[in-house]
Amino acid sequence: MKPEINIALMNAAQEILSRFSPMIEDEYEQSRLNSWGALILISSMKLNQSYSSLVEENKSILGWLTKTKKIYSKELSDEIDNVVLPEGEDQNVLDELNQSLRRILVKAHVEIDLTDDNESKKGYLKLLRNMHSHRKVSDLIGMLQQADS
Amino acid sequence: MESNNGLSNKFISYYSSLVDKEISLLSFERIFGGASRETYKIRIKDQFNNEEKLILRRTQESSLIETSQSTEYLAYSAYQDTSVPVPLMIDINEDQEILGAPFMLMQQLDGVAASPFTPNVYSPHEQKLGEQFWSILGEIAKKDIADDFINQFDNTEANPCWKKELDKWVGVIREDSISVEPILEAGIRKLYGNAPKESKKKSLVHGDYRNGNFLFLEDRITGILDWEMAHIGEPLEDLAWALSPIWSWQDKEKPAYLIARQEALSIWEKASGLVIDENDLKWWELFACVKGMAIWISAGNEFKTGKNIDPINLFSPWIPGDIHLEIILNILDEDLN
Repeated sequence: MKPEINIALMNAAQEILSRFSPMIEDEYEQSRLNSWGALILISSMKLNQSYSSLVEENKSILGWLTKTKKIYSKELSDEIDNVVLPEGEDQNVLDELNQSLRRILVKAHVEIDLTDDNESKKGYLKLLRNMHSHRKVSDLIGMLQQADS
Repeated sequence: MESNNGLSNKFISYYSSLVDKEISLLSFERIFGGASRETYKIRIKDQFNNEEKLILRRTQESSLIETSQSTEYLAYSAYQDTSVPVPLMIDINEDQEILGAPFMLMQQLDGVAASPFTPNVYSPHEQKLGEQFWSILGEIAKKDIADDFINQFDNTEANPCWKKELDKWVGVIREDSISVEPILEAGIRKLYGNAPKESKKKSLVHGDYRNGNFLFLEDRITGILDWEMAHIGEPLEDLAWALSPIWSWQDKEKPAYLIARQEALSIWEKASGLVIDENDLKWWELFACVKGMAIWISAGNEFKTGKNIDPINLFSPWIPGDIHLEIILNILDEDLN
């Protein structure tokens, strides 16, 4: 079995940070290279999750929209019904679907905001937090600081 | 891109002619992280061995924040010889021929700047630095905008301050977004739907007043930098931006990694002579997130389209972008509960 892409990136980042960067005397160029090293390191850690997170996010958005469909206008409800799940596993296709679902989600929030339905409002924010927690890389900020030092 | 050598030779020729004396170069170094302009630290000496330290800020073809250098120059000029510490301005030049792009030149102040993402960096001087940080911001807000310098800023009053600023940054988001972000959209709707009161006192707003944009030497703030987003507006805009939890993400109890929020607010009120309206401040704190998102999105667009692949343009949407989205979520959650 070949080494995985994330392992290759992780090793490249380590080489940049610990081997090549100290050789550079120019402070600007060294800082710039260190930043690349840290960003490649973050990429390596998130690479494996990115595809599964996208699949999971699409599923959870569509599931929530379907569950709450009855509270929306007919137009929006029809739009939710017309979402077609793509065949195959192409990441670009999943990305396009994700953008469509996010657009529908924004419309749903506009309609929810016009109501006094606090449960749906809370449910909406919970969904957004869940989506954000799967995607965010800001929890790796400590790693950037280590690389910088 | 031009080499440092090529640029430094041009600089020596320009500066010798400006000061009308023979000078030689001791060092010429670019500073990493300047998001809107290329920034260089320069050390020179004249024929009598008098040494001078300068900062050169040169316009970039593509930058994180598109701003006019005359705005920055005017803002620095407005606070020369005041209690707001700023470097002495030497020249502003729009001629592209001299150094390859428009530039401005100022004296270098003593002190260091810290990353806004590093906790404990001001230890053990947080208290003294904090008192100065919030007090200087109050002084900025207090300055009379009828002043000759400040009248040179764009001071159109077609919209309330809040709407003018919100429209501007939402415009950037609409132009540069590369994906749909429901959290940000919720934040924008909330701002348009809950307008703050129009400002009683308009001030010169720094536009990026935060930790990381000041120089310090142990327990003393020696300079307030990066005025490129300065404009006439609501003083609470700067206060809310500086208070944003993004600038103290690993110790949210101490905004800007300095002192506690309530103490900061008291110091600001005393120095500015203004009274904070808590609801309006909350509005501006949410606005700070939307403005931040506009900047990070714009940077991400530069990176993705290949216009500027400086790693800061990748870092910005990844880390600060994520943090600001989380802060928007926290504000929306808090309002609902």
